[in-house]
Amino acid sequence: MRARRLELGGEGRVETGPDSIRAAADSGTSPRSAGAGETASPGPGEQPGVGGGDGKGYWRSLEELTQTPRFRTFLEQEFPGLEEELASGASRRSFLGLLGASVALAGLASCRWPRELILPYANRPEGLVPGVADRFATAVDLHGAGVGLVVTSVDGRPIKVEGNPLHPASLGAASALAQALVLQLYDPDRSTTVVRREGGQAVAATFEEWDAFAAVHFARLAERGGTGLAVLAEPTSSPSLHQLRHRFAARYPRASWVEWEPLSDENRRRGARLAFGAGVRAQLHLAQADVIVSIGGDVLAEGPMALAHARAFASRRRADGLDMNRLLVAESVLSLTGAAADHRVALPPAALEGFILDLAAELAQRGVAVPWSARPLSPPGSPARRFAALAARELQRAGGKGLLLAGPRQRAEVHALVYALNVALGHVGRTVSFTAEPEGEGGGVEELERLAAELEAGAVDTLVILGGNPAYDAPANLGLAELIGRCPTSVHLSLYDDETSVRCRWHLPRAHPFESWGDVRAWDGTVSVTQPLIAPLYGGRTALEVVAGILGHAASAYELVRQHFAEKLAQGDPERAWRVALADGLVAGTSLAPLEPALDAEELATAATQLADLRVPSGLAVVFVPDASVHDGRFANNAWLQEVPDPLTKLTWDNAALVAPRTAAGLGVGDGEMVRLEVAGRTLEVAAYLLPGMAEETVGLPLGYGRSRAGRVGSGVGFDTYRLRTSGALHTAFGVSLERTGRSYPLATTQDHHAIDALGSTERSRRLGALVREGTLAEYLADPEFARRGESKEGVRPLWREVKLGGEHQWAMSIDLSACIGCNACQVACQAENNIPVVGKRQVLRGREMHWIRVDRYFAGEVDAPRVVFQPVACQHCENAPCESVCPVAATVHSDEGLNQMVYNRCVGTRYCSNNCPFKVRRFNFFNYYKNLKPVEKMHFNPEVTVRGRGVMEKCTFCVQRIEAARIAAKNQRRPLVDGEIVPACAQTCPTQAIVFGDLADPTSRVARLHRDPRSYGMLDELFLKPRTRYLARLRNPVAGEEEA
Amino acid sequence: MKGDGPAHRFLFPQWTNSLRPWLGVVLVGLPVYLVVLVWLGGSPKTTDVGYAPQQPVPYSHALHVRQLGLDCRYCHNTVEVSAVAAIPPTQTCMNCHAKIRTESPKLLPIRESFATGKPVAWVRVHDLPDYVYFNHSAHVSRGVGCVECHGRVDAMEVVAQVAPLSMGWCLDCHRDPDPHLRPPEQATSMTWTAPGDPREYGRQLREASRIEPSTECWTCHR
Repeated sequence: MRARRLELGGEGRVETGPDSIRAAADSGTSPRSAGAGETASPGPGEQPGVGGGDGKGYWRSLEELTQTPRFRTFLEQEFPGLEEELASGASRRSFLGLLGASVALAGLASCRWPRELILPYANRPEGLVPGVADRFATAVDLHGAGVGLVVTSVDGRPIKVEGNPLHPASLGAASALAQALVLQLYDPDRSTTVVRREGGQAVAATFEEWDAFAAVHFARLAERGGTGLAVLAEPTSSPSLHQLRHRFAARYPRASWVEWEPLSDENRRRGARLAFGAGVRAQLHLAQADVIVSIGGDVLAEGPMALAHARAFASRRRADGLDMNRLLVAESVLSLTGAAADHRVALPPAALEGFILDLAAELAQRGVAVPWSARPLSPPGSPARRFAALAARELQRAGGKGLLLAGPRQRAEVHALVYALNVALGHVGRTVSFTAEPEGEGGGVEELERLAAELEAGAVDTLVILGGNPAYDAPANLGLAELIGRCPTSVHLSLYDDETSVRCRWHLPRAHPFESWGDVRAWDGTVSVTQPLIAPLYGGRTALEVVAGILGHAASAYELVRQHFAEKLAQGDPERAWRVALADGLVAGTSLAPLEPALDAEELATAATQLADLRVPSGLAVVFVPDASVHDGRFANNAWLQEVPDPLTKLTWDNAALVAPRTAAGLGVGDGEMVRLEVAGRTLEVAAYLLPGMAEETVGLPLGYGRSRAGRVGSGVGFDTYRLRTSGALHTAFGVSLERTGRSYPLATTQDHHAIDALGSTERSRRLGALVREGTLAEYLADPEFARRGESKEGVRPLWREVKLGGEHQWAMSIDLSACIGCNACQVACQAENNIPVVGKRQVLRGREMHWIRVDRYFAGEVDAPRVVFQPVACQHCENAPCESVCPVAATVHSDEGLNQMVYNRCVGTRYCSNNCPFKVRRFNFFNYYKNLKPVEKMHFNPEVTVRGRGVMEKCTFCVQRIEAARIAAKNQRRPLVDGEIVPACAQTCPTQAIVFGDLADPTSRVARLHRDPRSYGMLDELFLKPRTRYLARLRNPVAGEEEA
Repeated sequence: MKGDGPAHRFLFPQWTNSLRPWLGVVLVGLPVYLVVLVWLGGSPKTTDVGYAPQQPVPYSHALHVRQLGLDCRYCHNTVEVSAVAAIPPTQTCMNCHAKIRTESPKLLPIRESFATGKPVAWVRVHDLPDYVYFNHSAHVSRGVGCVECHGRVDAMEVVAQVAPLSMGWCLDCHRDPDPHLRPPEQATSMTWTAPGDPREYGRQLREASRIEPSTECWTCHR
């Protein structure tokens, strides 16, 4: 009775205390059997497809696994905490007061229609049709290279960001970060004016004053050849800016130009130089790879090509062609790529750094010509060695169709050896090819150290900071914040008046990418023109314009980009080429030519020796990772991203120190407990979060939180982990000590919210299949319908007479769990498309987040080495919808096309529907979240969707506004709707195309075919709900006989 | 929900007895109140039929449409492709008024707007609630004439609202479209009449071009 003991585990604060976790970990039994209790549940091997008849094979959190009271609260109550709120005298009185007031106001307001004005254009631009949205192609620099976007603009307001299907780095998808750019554009906390700071006093200034100052100041600097001038810029891919950089070097030969970004791929670049002696970029062809081995990277979710990689990876995860790829991941901090892996090993950073040597040794043993004398680093029989043996066997079996990857946090030497092994294994030209590194090396930490030294010595008297936020995100040991403050003339061009601006003499407001002309280069070299969607709201300038200004030749960004385009890129008629480039969002034929670089064997041998000789202190290590929401902190003031739960931790509005449950148990640390970390004399107090799948002796620290001047949304949110990061240990710090403080911290994690009570009672658990279902490729081949095996409708009858739906179309959705990588793009897309409010941390703690689509993350298997499954859940549009039968005012009714319609203007807010929804997908507006908006904050609203007020229930509509728009367009043109014409926002942006929407009435439609797929199953199908959203069971492709994941 | 047995049974306190005489008032008054509420709610005063606000420029549809013979779409040119039948830009007025009545004081706001680029502030006459998504193009291209909702605009010196624009009124037509249909190319005609029985003619049109007006909530509310 393990389960019983666990339940009684802790005392007082019962949550996932160290004791209970240790009990689960030490027992060695899988949680599947641990949680089974009295029902004789099949073990993992017996019925892997359905995941245990009790639905308990999968767990969303340690709290669920141990069934803590907190979890029970979220399971049993729709919106916990409401009772107390209603019962407390004070709030009831205020409620009645509000009720009275609203009645009185309603009486007054209904006396007369409001008088509305119509303000037409005086001179309507050609081609603009009021009420019809325009779509413009543009591109932005994200993660150091360009990503193509298509932005929807209504009456001159950009409102929605989607990917550009023609762009190689987007293929039609957009990441959560790129989509949230539109909220950043309308952020009321953006800086609106030039600020001059003198002796602690901030004075509002103008660009004219800056121009006058700059003209004199920089002319003087030019006279002395730029001595004392330094530029600190973000790495950029902009060809025009690189051209200006040449002119800068010519005018100021003695000035320095330093590039810094906290999450750069410097190690990869240095690794390529080691291996090939030249700047080389790897272009991955994941779709061609049969076996992918990733060391510490997150190829599916990180970096400029993540969307394209995810698409290519997922193209080989569906069972269509049965040529599934196999992904093996060794990593320290659980990542999305790790979650997608078929085999995964969690190695502490010290073991991970030497893993490449273990792998090379195994390969050498198998006869692969490794270009150095390969000796393993880890002791025989260790997890690293066992995994290396497996990876080596698989890579060799792939016969040149494998692919070996290293993440940006791995040492340059690891990258060099990875390049070499890819060459040795014959992957080049098949799964990976090489191109030259285009102009712009992207800088590095050594340059920044040199700049800090110069500032320290007083050798720099004019510092121009183009974007970025170095005072916040530079390595802590450099003390750059203080040094910038000491510089006599410092200028910061930035979207916000932030931590760096406040230390500079001048702050210049930057134009948002959607307000700017510019150009970017994608990872494969393709150049795109950034075109503005709207005139700068606050008259900001771009980096191009500021650099042109300090070069003494003021020019608009448009002129600079246009000029560069005409000189370097245009082919044929320049005017026509320009227009085509703007319309397509890219300049055709600008991708980089492939190279065949030669390996530098000597350097490789040195690198291997250096890696082998590395001695790191034992004990805890810290790994700094980008945050899925705020990246490196630049998106800290973006409420959409703050509230979208982290894919793996499901944390909102915070970061936390991620620790493996077993390590935490050893340290005596509980979930949500504040701990004091010390790294080389620097300390930080941070909340601990127990994340299954973390490597032991490892603390994962997401960057980007704890900002002091982010704005009203992001200031003071989370913990500033940059304070522990030094230039010598940018990615991994060893010799860390961790102390308990005994205090706890409320972490707003949504993992237990909206839990579907599949367990319920013994009786029900016998009938219901698991909510998420997965199996291996072998199981699928043995029984394609494995996912539906074990479903039983015996002895159950529907409650109501079957309704015949007579509509011309029957809308439905299919979600492929094999393809879903849990990246959150759908959640942000839905939020942007449907005007979904952000509720804040306090409301999230009460389970009141408003996302219409959530991505449930399930763990399965061992606590220390779990498998991870993602399941996006939105309204399932049940044909027999339980919500409809309980609504007293018919505010939720069924359409004849199978849509479960929610009618806001009828809803009186009883919340009965939500209570009766088995999938927990209905969201209630507890407050008027859109009260008192500034005009600029209203600009991102989608005019096609009602903005809901307080007291109204809402939920996924299958993007009915898109259905209606497509239907009207088709009927106006007197043609039938085409399959694929209607794409909901979530499906549109899904990088892996896991979500497919369409018409079941058309048996040839994609969705109809997917619903007939043997892998297809409906959640809670046995309850006769007939959900219109069906899932395709997840397939994994582990090596037979090896333990999974 | 505490369920602690009879000891905690709820009893009305004594003072509530004094409220009993008022009970009758409430029982009689409430139905009367509800009837009056519905009556007033549906009255033209509430639905604003007849609303004819003064516009910044006394534009006469009677003059421009009936006497000069302008088609609706000369000015409201987005009506066939967009949800809105856009109010024309000042440029459209100036197409003619750059040459005609260039000195008229009534047209001063137009000339000012054209010179400064600032819009003329017209007052909206036909105003639907914000949660209603009406689409002009869907109706016009199906052969619902302008006159069906807007009335004889060609007879209006000042544009007034003639239909209640209430949900019931919308549904009347969506449930029984036949008498309101005409060939789409006649949509903007103010004087078109059906040859023969309008209902029968409409039925033929509806069946020929498969017009199936929806009465589902999300057709208009979303």
